[in-house]
Amino acid sequence: MNWSTISEVLISAVRMATPLLFVALAELFSERAGLVNIGLDGLMSFGALVGFLVCYWTGNPFLGVLCGALGGVLVNMIYAFCTVTLGAQQIVYGMAINIFAPALASFIYRIVFGVSSTLAQATLMKTVAIPVLKDIPFIGKLLFDQTPMVYGVYLLVIVTAIYFNRTKSGLNYKAVGEYPKAAETMGINVVLHKYVACMICGFLAGMGGAYLTTCYVNTYSDGIVAGRGFIALAAVIFGRWSSSGVLIACLLFGFFDALQLRLQVGTDLIPYQLFQMIPYVMTLVALTIFGSRISGPKSNGKPYFREER
Amino acid sequence: MQRNKIWNLLVPILSILLAFVIGMIIILCLGSNPFQAIGYLVKGAFGSRTNLANTVVRSMPLIFTGLCTCFAYRCGVFNLGGEGQFLCGSMAAITVALLIGKSGWWVTLIAIFAGTVAGGVWGLLPGILKTWRGLNELITTIMFNYVATLFMGYLYTTALREGSVPQTAPVPEATEIGRIFPGLRITWGIVVALVVGIAMWYFLFYTSKGFQLRAVGLNPTACRFNGLSVKRYMLAAFVISGAVAGLGGACDILGTQFRLISGYGSGYGFDGVAIALIAQLNPIATMIVAYFFAVLRVGSTTMQVGTGVPTSVVDIIQALVIIFAVAGTAAMHLPQIRSYLQTLGEKKEAN
Amino acid sequence: MEEILRMEHISKQFGDFYANRDITFGVRKGEVHTLLGENGAGKSTLMNVLVGLYQPTAGRILINGKPVRIESPAQAVRLGIGMVHQHFMLIEAMTVLQNIILGDTRDKGLFIQHEERKQEIVALSQKYGLDVDPDAKITDISVGAQQRVEILKALFRGAEILVLDEPTAVLTDIEVEKLYAIIDRLKGEGKSIVFISHKMREVLHVSDRITILRAGKAVCTLDADKTDGRELASLMIGRELSESNYKKIESEQEPVIELVDVDYNKSSKHNGLNGITLKVRRGEIVGVAGVDGNGQSQLAQIVTGVICAESGEVVLKGRKVSHVTAADFIAQNVSHIPEDRNRMGLIGDMTVEENLLLKSTQKCEFCEAGGWRLKKKAMKAYTDEMRDKYDIRCRSGEQEIRSLSGGNQQKVILARELEAQPDLLVAVHPTRGLDIGATRYVRDAMVAARDKGCAVLLISADFDEVLQLSDRIVVMFEGRIMGEYPGENPPVQAISYAMTGK
Repeated sequence: MNWSTISEVLISAVRMATPLLFVALAELFSERAGLVNIGLDGLMSFGALVGFLVCYWTGNPFLGVLCGALGGVLVNMIYAFCTVTLGAQQIVYGMAINIFAPALASFIYRIVFGVSSTLAQATLMKTVAIPVLKDIPFIGKLLFDQTPMVYGVYLLVIVTAIYFNRTKSGLNYKAVGEYPKAAETMGINVVLHKYVACMICGFLAGMGGAYLTTCYVNTYSDGIVAGRGFIALAAVIFGRWSSSGVLIACLLFGFFDALQLRLQVGTDLIPYQLFQMIPYVMTLVALTIFGSRISGPKSNGKPYFREER
Repeated sequence: MQRNKIWNLLVPILSILLAFVIGMIIILCLGSNPFQAIGYLVKGAFGSRTNLANTVVRSMPLIFTGLCTCFAYRCGVFNLGGEGQFLCGSMAAITVALLIGKSGWWVTLIAIFAGTVAGGVWGLLPGILKTWRGLNELITTIMFNYVATLFMGYLYTTALREGSVPQTAPVPEATEIGRIFPGLRITWGIVVALVVGIAMWYFLFYTSKGFQLRAVGLNPTACRFNGLSVKRYMLAAFVISGAVAGLGGACDILGTQFRLISGYGSGYGFDGVAIALIAQLNPIATMIVAYFFAVLRVGSTTMQVGTGVPTSVVDIIQALVIIFAVAGTAAMHLPQIRSYLQTLGEKKEAN
Repeated sequence: MEEILRMEHISKQFGDFYANRDITFGVRKGEVHTLLGENGAGKSTLMNVLVGLYQPTAGRILINGKPVRIESPAQAVRLGIGMVHQHFMLIEAMTVLQNIILGDTRDKGLFIQHEERKQEIVALSQKYGLDVDPDAKITDISVGAQQRVEILKALFRGAEILVLDEPTAVLTDIEVEKLYAIIDRLKGEGKSIVFISHKMREVLHVSDRITILRAGKAVCTLDADKTDGRELASLMIGRELSESNYKKIESEQEPVIELVDVDYNKSSKHNGLNGITLKVRRGEIVGVAGVDGNGQSQLAQIVTGVICAESGEVVLKGRKVSHVTAADFIAQNVSHIPEDRNRMGLIGDMTVEENLLLKSTQKCEFCEAGGWRLKKKAMKAYTDEMRDKYDIRCRSGEQEIRSLSGGNQQKVILARELEAQPDLLVAVHPTRGLDIGATRYVRDAMVAARDKGCAVLLISADFDEVLQLSDRIVVMFEGRIMGEYPGENPPVQAISYAMTGK
């Protein structure tokens, strides 16, 4: 194991942590408003498809990412309506999205591209190296020579932290997830906040999905999300509902993802599937060691009705 | 209440109708004649004895994964690991069959037993994580799904591989589960599925333990105060639901599929979740909805051949059914709608 | 003196149940106006209408003589109405300062100006004598301090009308005195106060005028100095109040349960037990008096096996128990009427029949083959019998229990727990939220159980209830037993004093 291998793995880790981070932040915003959304996989799939399509048609990956994000918002509005207004069980509804959105994505792909064994290819987003900084040995290439999406998501982590800890709006937002009735009596529009939370969640999750098909690879296939939505759920718990914690969790999981890829190439003796299991097993291990019995926002997962009898 | 039961039945039926209507609109937009398309669908599902048999065969694994979810959810356990548990059942069954290699119905039984146990164990693991460390089973069961699928990949690419194509050797003919009717693909596996479904229904509603299990699912705190061991029931739910899925996997591999191959079992798990939710966690309804899903799947290939409408329209219809069914059930519980329905009921009684 | 607030002909319906029916009353500027009524008389509903949480089915509200529509809590705040709810609307994970500034729209900036807000709050708290630490977390401060935070929240938003809903329910006597002082300061600064209570002593002390509510209607409005406790009580209840008519017994029988120096979560003052020594004998009612939140919940759960003592001994029917479960206690004929019937006692989505038989489906009257076949007919017959015997009003045994009224739900629990012929009955706030008829029924049932030889442990925040029913009275404060008193001619002063920690 030499320097260059390690740095390769680390650079890869950063790249692979990015979609996770998008989705984990999406779930963070959702759970902070008291909504547990397990339909992240579905949102990502749909965002991945829409992003890919737009990028394919327009040749512009940035536009693709934006449209993928908007696609995520659209699908999550179904979740929002059913859980916030109708009061459906959030977990059940999240599963419904997980079934519905990938089916829709798959359907649209078949309609546009037909059924064939070769995958259509779209434009891949290019990396943008930040001058001067990128020449710092070792860290330079790692941190400052990535696609703009990566820079964007790290900026987002900082913005999220500032929002929740320093702003009045962030305080109100957190109140909605902790004790919605109290928030309502303080004049905070709980229903509005929950809908906005769903929009943010859909936007970021869709963006994370679009990242997969425009920056990570430039094709779309049905299983591309590979359970990242659920790993993101673990990341939020593991990161204790703070954006810095979520960042660390995602970097960790991204590292395991990158590691298993590298290990696959390295040896013939151990079947490669065993390496592919690493991210999932490590999620379990991480949760077992660190994740037990932590609570999070107090009213997380509970439906809110204004007039109760 | 009689009235409640009627309303509860209406929601899934209306959802299915609504989903079909939207599906037909989509078909129209694709440039095909929706009635013709539905016609082909029906023909593909019911048109001949073979087709009919195929729908039954196709429904078997779905019944098992649907029942798995149904049982678990009744105890408040969100077991999303049906797919992994199903695959563990298949893997255990085919491994045992290949290893023993002899003939005889007793080998089949051992293989089925191994599959059931494997599924149960795969359900027990997240159960232990939940009761011991409080880990949310939503996440853990999904992780276990991926591990199982990857392990299956290992089996058919390396350990049990036969030949140049990545797939395992087939189950020895002597160990296969027999067919009921000559010439049709229906095996005794479907009988097992029906028996399990009826047994589950009976257990949940006509036995003391089943009653207590349902109580734990509805209000674990009250059950704790009233002397019911919540942890024990939840663990049992994990294990039994996993075993049911594992049994399904064993029956499927030994009767229908015969080989492990890439993509085997894909989607069975989540389909099972959808089925159980639409059926409102009733085992009998689960079996009916599972059959309905199978009808859609089997019919859709004929529809695609006949009209060029892609099979994924059926995916959309299925997905829409669950969206509407779950939303409908939730809407029914809204206080305004509840009191509206109650007054409707009272007016009827007064008349 | 003009009226700052007037509620006219207010009605509020839930389905066909009238929580408020044609209520009219007015509050003058600078006065303390009390709404007096029993549990369920409609006081909280009326106030929820005032603060915009509920919309009235009929009637109007006038502020300073001008009619207004209060469609949301935000609007109520803008109109100068501030409410201190009985169950505090505070976010436990946040600090005092954060709770106070939550939702504040006057400051247009993006970021929280921590230092400025802190100074504002400190200034306010000094002006009105409301002593708080702005940077403390809500979970770490006392109940009295939390109430002061609630008052500060209202004042911070410029409330001119303050509604205090049962403010003394959770306070010790010392804190109640402090509250009276705060109310005086508020009056002095020109604030008007609507005081909601059902406790005669405080009402007479603090009010200028009193409006009595009974069964959703306003009975009349009186000047406080022109009336007395007896008149108020009879107006509240609608008939002459009678003294306790339950016979008190001194039991010499053997104890069913005994706690010796039991600890649980010792370090917590509000959720723990510290060196509890207590006996409950057959054929007696031991009443545990004390303000809610002094370890009563934990005591109830230890005595029913839901939680385990961390040190000390628990002796049930002469045998030491440790590391046992609620099931073991139930097998020893311990019955429990829990403090929160919906969370701890009933399964809302299940039917009346299923709830009645929750613990009994394994019994041979109701099942065959060791539980593998339920005798549905026998279950139904039993349910019908219980509905008759305990006067449970419901359409059928198949009705979902969540749609029954509170009183009938409690009767289901009562039926289930008493029919088990318990040797020990633990009843926690058994009449909370029940109307007069149901309350009387439950109390009679408990006394009847005692007369049959059952040991009864009654834990209630309703002091009058404890005084009326108990053969022996024990006082709990911050997880300890402060003293034991006879139930016959109880020394009320000494007991009240003990409840404050002396």
